Formats: sequence, structure tokens, C-alpha cells
Amino acid sequence: MRESLASIVARTLVILLLIVWSAVPVALVVLSSFKPTAEIFTYPPTLVFEPTLEHYRTLFEKWPDFIWTLRNSAVIALSATALTLVASVLAGYVYSRYRGGALAGSALFMVAIRLLPPIVITLPLYPVADFLALSDSYTILILLYATFFVSLGSMILKTFIDSIPDELDQAATIDGASEMQILRRVIVPLSAQGMVAASVFVFVYAWNEYLFAFIFTTTKAKTAPVVISEMMGSLTGVDWGLLFAAATVQLVPVVAFVALVQKFLIAGLTAGSVKG
Amino acid sequence: MRKFGLRQLAMLAPTQGLLILIIALPSLYVFWLSFTESSYGKAPTFIGWDNYAAIWNDRYFWRALVNTLIVINVIVYGELVLAFLLASVFAKGVPFRKTLLAIVLMPYAISEVVAVVIWKFLLDPNVGSFAKAMAAAGLPDINWATNPTHGLGLVSVVSIWLHLPFTFILIYAAMLAVPKELYESATIDGASGWQSFRFVTLPGVMPAIFVALIFRYILAFRLFSEVWLLTGGGPARTTEVLAIYLYKQSFTYASFGKGSATGWVMVMISGAIAAIYLRLLYSRGFKQDA
Repeated sequence: MRESLASIVARTLVILLLIVWSAVPVALVVLSSFKPTAEIFTYPPTLVFEPTLEHYRTLFEKWPDFIWTLRNSAVIALSATALTLVASVLAGYVYSRYRGGALAGSALFMVAIRLLPPIVITLPLYPVADFLALSDSYTILILLYATFFVSLGSMILKTFIDSIPDELDQAATIDGASEMQILRRVIVPLSAQGMVAASVFVFVYAWNEYLFAFIFTTTKAKTAPVVISEMMGSLTGVDWGLLFAAATVQLVPVVAFVALVQKFLIAGLTAGSVKG
Repeated sequence: MRKFGLRQLAMLAPTQGLLILIIALPSLYVFWLSFTESSYGKAPTFIGWDNYAAIWNDRYFWRALVNTLIVINVIVYGELVLAFLLASVFAKGVPFRKTLLAIVLMPYAISEVVAVVIWKFLLDPNVGSFAKAMAAAGLPDINWATNPTHGLGLVSVVSIWLHLPFTFILIYAAMLAVPKELYESATIDGASGWQSFRFVTLPGVMPAIFVALIFRYILAFRLFSEVWLLTGGGPARTTEVLAIYLYKQSFTYASFGKGSATGWVMVMISGAIAAIYLRLLYSRGFKQDA
């Protein structure tokens, strides 16, 4: 089928607009973080310039804590991912292999409870976290982040485990394997793709999350997004160069990660929401 | 299929335990709090429906509710149209598919905070490149810091920018899943391009559109960070949305009861949205199968 000229032009236009909409803003921030201050504000934006690290230097001089908050973000995001994966593999396995009225009810509960707006639970959890000495700790954020993704995680893992033939479980049972051994030796290796898919969602969410981190941390467990928001709101006027340097450090690893695992992201989303 | 027993219950415990302890019990406690008066260091005393009456009579609550409803509809339908358009282009085949896909997905990886930094800069009336390009094109100035409509407009732009990848993936995956044979037989039957779109593509992606709508309505309803970081609800509380109203009642004005009542109003509205759309989804689904 031959395509008309008009449709080729329309399609090219959509693709160009997409690039301006989606990639240009991010590229501009990353590029500008290496520009001398005066050149950040030139219009149209310059593409050729003498790169400088001055904003990165100011960033680490003025906000020495920033590097620690990145570390906090990394530890919290990785732990939340690990916790979500363990919980989701166990639940996904049960939902895939077992049937029963109570089970169907708990699956419905799992999906329905996710509809609750997260801000609603901040109010009662705030004093509880304080009482348990959990406010401003890694633990509270890890638990919160994992909780909001175990539903999707379990759904994704259930879908992936569904595609592993039950005969493999039965063969392993005949060979004398316990259920835990089946999980470790059969299910986990064969559902690795599903585990990657589920981890992308939790990791990206936990690395970037703002609301809970803003409410539940003050100093020790503060995450990178919270510090960046403080830089933006500083009273002395916004230092855009510094802000861009911080944003670049925060976004580059996770943008690269998502680009690398994009096919799992797509697989996971379709498994978790359409089929689940 | 095997029978569900105690051991399996133990395997579900981490997932269900987290959901019960962190979401279900606290939200029940919020329900109780919404009928009490309490604040920092002040034990709750039961006051019946007074909190609900108080927010009902608070014009800031209504402003926040109306803002929320307008903004989420702009966000959800804006996203849907853009995602549908993009998915149609991608489904026809694009050069450098993988790279372009990575570009579409890029905002998914970006934090709300960084997205606000980016768009605040691009649309800064004095230094922003997009603001200057718009001025050069003869468009009126945008003053999102002082004009509430512009402020909420910017909130919608940032929110659409962040969540377009999600809606896009759902619709794109559904378009790819429409069997090729259906298009072929439509062509053989003499269907025009529009007809095969109307009678093959559209019915094929309808379920995905409903799923995207439900998910996005429920998620957009939580809107907090973009507003908090862009306008803080100002000027003069004109750009508050429900989540901001709840936060201010609870943490700024320390009125836990009113904050909780707002929380339950939000829960009810989320539930209602989900119920309406699930009903629509099921009735449509059954009609199509018949």
C-alpha cells in the first residue's frame, strides 16, 4: 500500500513534535548544567559552548548533603525493590497455583485497597511513625514504597508464573522438592523477566517519590527529590545552574536505566493492568 | 489446581500484611478521626458529622474540589488524545523505533520535582525558552505565578508530560495486539482506511482505553506534588486541589478531624470513579463478546 505525501508529512510532524515535547526539555537541562551561567539564559539556547563544571562545584560546596541524600535515595529504592520482589513472588505464586474463595477475596482486596489516595494515610501514620521511632528513618519509606507496589508486583508475577507449566512443579514434587525449593529452583529463575519488570516500577517510583519523603523525613533519611525541591524554593532566588546540576545527577542514572529495560517496562505494564 | 491452605496464607502474609498495616488500618483510623476533633497533643473527642459540615461550608474546600475535577479531566483526556495519536503513528511503523520509544518513555523516569524544575524554567516569563518562543509566535504572556488559570494550566502540562508514557504504553500495546488478519479481511471487504480504523482498530483498543482511563482518573485524583511545588496552592488559595487542601488542614492548620474528613471524601470520590468506569467496562465488554 502506497502512502500519500500528506500522511508522510503528518507523521514526520508528529515525530518532530514528540521529540520537542519529550526529549528536548530533558536535554536542555542536562546541557545547561554544563553551561557558564550567562549562557544558560540566551535565547535561542546555544548548542555550542565551552563546557564548565562550575555548577557541579557550587552544588557540592553549597549543598554538601546532596551526595548523602542521593545515597539515601539509592539505599531506600533498592531495599523497597527487594522487599516488593520477595513479597510479590510469594504472592504471585500462590495466586497463580492455588484456588479458593478466600484467595479470590484477598486478590480483590489487594487491587481495591490500592485505589486509596496515599495522602489519606499520611495523617494517621505520622504519629505512629513517631511513636515507633520510625519517622525520618529509611524503614518507614521502604515500607511505604513497597506497600504501594506489592499489588502491581503480585499481579505482574502472577501473570509471568501463569506461563510456567504446572508440570514442572509436579515433576519437582515427584523428585521430592518442597514448595520453597520449587520456588527457589524453578519459579524464580523462570520468572526472572517478570521480576525485572516489577522492579522497574518500584525502583523508579521509590527513587523519584516526593510526597512521603517530604512528609516523613527531616534530616537523616531525606531523599534527593526533597533536597532538589528545597534548592528550588531557596529564598535567595533560584540558582538555575546549580539546580540543573542537581537535577542532572538525579535523573541521568534512572533515565538510562529505564531506556535499558524499556521492553520489561512495557511487558510489565501490560501484564499488570490489562490482564491482571 | 491445588487447594489453598495455611502454608499459602503464610506466603501471602508479606503482601497482605503490608497492605493491611500500612493502608487498611490507618484508613479506618482516619475514618474514626473524621468524626472527632483532634490536634497535636490533643486527644480526639467525638463530634459526629461536624467536620463534614465544616468542610461543606468552607468555600476553599469547594474551590479545591472544582479545581481537582477540572484539572483531572484536562489531564486524563489530554493524555488520552495525545497517547492515541502517538500510538497510531507508532503502530503504522516509525523509523528508529527503539530510540523513539525510549524518547516517549523518558518522562516516565523523571521525578515530579525535576519535572517541575524543567517546566518552571522552560516557561519562566523572563528566561524560559518555551515562553520566549511562545511570545515570538504572538501568544499572550503566561503568568502562572499570579494567574490561577495559568497556574493550573502549567500543573496540567507537567502532569500530562509525566504520565503520557503510561497511557501511551497501554494503548500502543493494545493496538499491536489487534490481529493483522482483521485488517486484511477488512481490506478485502473493501473497507476504507477510516472504516478499518473505526471498525477494527477502535473496538480493539477500547478495553485498553477504559483501563487507561480508570487508572489515570484514580492516579490523577491524587495530584499533589506538581501543585505544591509550582504554586503551593496560591495565590490566595486559588489553585488548591483536594490533596493540598487535606495537607493544609492536617499539617498547616493542625485540624486532624477536618483533614480526615477531606480524606474520606477523597476515598469516596475515588471509589465512585472506579465503580462507574468498571461498570462501563464490563457492560461494554459483554456487549462486544455477544
